[in-house]
Amino acid sequence: MSEARVPPFRRAVIALSGHPGNDRIVRIVSQLAQASKAELVGVHVVEVDWSQPLDADIAGRSEVAQRILDRAEEVAEGQGAALDAILLQARDVGAAIVDEAIEREADLLVLGLAYRMRFGGDFAIGRTIPYVLKNAPCAVWVVREPIPEEAS
Amino acid sequence: MIGGRRPLPGRKLGDRRVRVERPHAPYFRWSGAGQLTARAAASRPTTASGRWWAAVRALFLGRPLASDEEAGERLSKKKALAIFSSDAISSSAYATEEILRVLVIGGAVFLAFGLQIAIAIAILLAIVAFSYRQVCLAYPTGGGSYSVSKVNFGRRASLIAASALLIDYVMTVAVSISSAVEQITAALPVLLPEKVLIGVIAIALVTLGNLRGLREAGNIFAVPTYLFVGSALLMIAIGTFRIVMLGEHGDFPRQLADQTIQTTQSAVALLLLRAFAAGAVALTGTEAIATGVPAFKSPEARNAATTLAVMAGLLGVLFVGITFLAVNYGAVNVGGADGQTVIAQVARRVYGDNSIPFFLFQGFTAVLLVLAANTSFNAFPRLLAILAQDGFVPRQFGFRGDRLAFSYGIVILAVVAGSLVVAFNGETHLLIPLYAVGVFIDFTISQSGMIRHWLRERPAGYVPRLAINAIGAVLTGVVAVVVALAKAPTSFIVLILMAVLFGVMSFVRRQYDQQAAELEVREDVVFDRPHREQRVVVPVNGINRTVVQAVTFARTLAADVRAVYVTEDPDDGEALRLRWERQLPGVPLVIVESPYRAIISPVIAYLDVLDKAWPPDKEAPITIVVLPEYVARHWWDRVLYNQAARLLKRALLGREHTVIADVPYRRGA
Repeated sequence: MSEARVPPFRRAVIALSGHPGNDRIVRIVSQLAQASKAELVGVHVVEVDWSQPLDADIAGRSEVAQRILDRAEEVAEGQGAALDAILLQARDVGAAIVDEAIEREADLLVLGLAYRMRFGGDFAIGRTIPYVLKNAPCAVWVVREPIPEEAS
Repeated sequence: MIGGRRPLPGRKLGDRRVRVERPHAPYFRWSGAGQLTARAAASRPTTASGRWWAAVRALFLGRPLASDEEAGERLSKKKALAIFSSDAISSSAYATEEILRVLVIGGAVFLAFGLQIAIAIAILLAIVAFSYRQVCLAYPTGGGSYSVSKVNFGRRASLIAASALLIDYVMTVAVSISSAVEQITAALPVLLPEKVLIGVIAIALVTLGNLRGLREAGNIFAVPTYLFVGSALLMIAIGTFRIVMLGEHGDFPRQLADQTIQTTQSAVALLLLRAFAAGAVALTGTEAIATGVPAFKSPEARNAATTLAVMAGLLGVLFVGITFLAVNYGAVNVGGADGQTVIAQVARRVYGDNSIPFFLFQGFTAVLLVLAANTSFNAFPRLLAILAQDGFVPRQFGFRGDRLAFSYGIVILAVVAGSLVVAFNGETHLLIPLYAVGVFIDFTISQSGMIRHWLRERPAGYVPRLAINAIGAVLTGVVAVVVALAKAPTSFIVLILMAVLFGVMSFVRRQYDQQAAELEVREDVVFDRPHREQRVVVPVNGINRTVVQAVTFARTLAADVRAVYVTEDPDDGEALRLRWERQLPGVPLVIVESPYRAIISPVIAYLDVLDKAWPPDKEAPITIVVLPEYVARHWWDRVLYNQAARLLKRALLGREHTVIADVPYRRGA
């Protein structure tokens, strides 16, 4: 198979935070997946703090968490792709995403990044993305949302 | 909605995660706060027979469509022209024949009037089409004259319009199909004995096409319509050239010339009026586009209005053109077993006897006529759905089937039209007198409604429009009277049917209104907790698991629970009491001896006594009758169980202050 014909990925894990920009990411990745018939896995992680047991009944009861995944499924279906939606509870979001990607032998991990400024004007990237960039064994795409007009 | 949770190890000890199952996902999707949307799996039948029936439906009708797939089902102007115009355009295939069939009574000389009559009808068509264009723009929600009359005249006029429309849609199917079969038998006389069967099969095929949904219908019907229009226009062009440039003319049958002398001196005006009334069938179907405006792609009203104008233009050209050729070629259908349709005679003359183009043209005409019925299959169910929304017909007519089509309306139309074809032996000219009367009543109501519309709204430049509608209303009103009288007494059947439909629709609405009044809940009332007392009665047949389960459930409903055992043997009852008090303490058992061996009536009588014993100064309690029920394992052993419970349930249905609760016991539960 020539270099040009190698599909960009075979199985992609999309981290879904529930941010409105998720729709755009799912749409883009679904379009790419369709061309190469790649598999898509959407992962949403509900962070459980140390005051509760890890297996407490939190995510299953969370309508918000379910809605995030259902919405991603719907967007993917709209593009003609199937998305396997996974709901996780974990102490650390980044670790859960990377571990899930490893378990599923994903060759691509996609994350969205909202454009946010910290107090003082520094760009805020958060904890999860640096962790994933450092620890994920597969390729990682970070899709930053456009800079809002008032910020630019 | 709570799913299971499965712990999973991480790369590090602290990175453990828990995967949460999502049991709702295959069946529902959260689409908003507190709002679930059912997916296809949730709508699948749960029983084996239901699944089998769904598979059969999917085989013939295609996979079920979701409601949000409807946008893709909207029609482009080209497809809509084919779907909604096939009725109007196809009437050019038999309208000429109906005129000439009347004129021929006066003999060959009178046939010359055919062209003038066709032109007069074409002018009427232009006026009606212009009016309906305005209906499309003013009332884009569809419904055509029904909507116009509802807004401008109120319920009664709108129901008259609706009755007329419904009857004419049925007649369109019956007439178009019968005429289609006649075109086939004109080309292939060997099929003549099977014409009723062919007609019924054709209706079944069109029904199937429509039950599959609108988009497919568009694809199925567009090609034949355009093939007919193309080949008919070609025929008119060739024929006109030969007649005008080459001076070609036809020969009239000998007997027509003889008849001329007898009839010219009397009843000329009547003959011409009757011919006009007969040819007025050409206008049928003009209103279909105004009824189906919502089926168009956006901008719906503008697209519908444009399509209507194109349709009227095409119909006018085809109708006048075919009549011109028929008159000049002396094409008349003198009847009889081998009677050739007028359009077949014209085509034979232009394209050549038994030539391939002739057979092709006959084929296109026949297919178009079959598909003309489709106009009604689109408009009739839509009108019924609008009537259902307004509460004039049962609400089922407003439900969409698997393929977004109004299945109930489609099936009803097919059954009634099929019955007419069978009853009239597939003879078009026998059906024609029932046709067109309703259409002209409908036109008149619609145009009168538009007059009121303009007078009320008074937009800029409304006067010319008002004038057109006023002329149209007067003309179509006169034509309605002429058509009704000219086609009497058969046409009176239509008027009677209209009155019956009017009565039925008013009755249905009255029932719905009464029900709504009965069930109405005042908005200012808050229902915080039940205020009526409850008591439970459990009819039992002994002590068994079914009964124990029912009694246990009954005790959760109220404090006042009692079991009733009907028996004809007092000893048997006493034995049960001893066991009951030991095993089900706290629940009184009432033993009812039944020396006449009845089971159901004593229970009802016992409930009556309970009611009478209730203190009259207290509000009557709700009596919950809990019925223990054993769930049979197979469909064939259902007959062995629960027969008494079933009879009791039937007897209790509708009883005041009484609720029936089935408590099914399943083996292994």
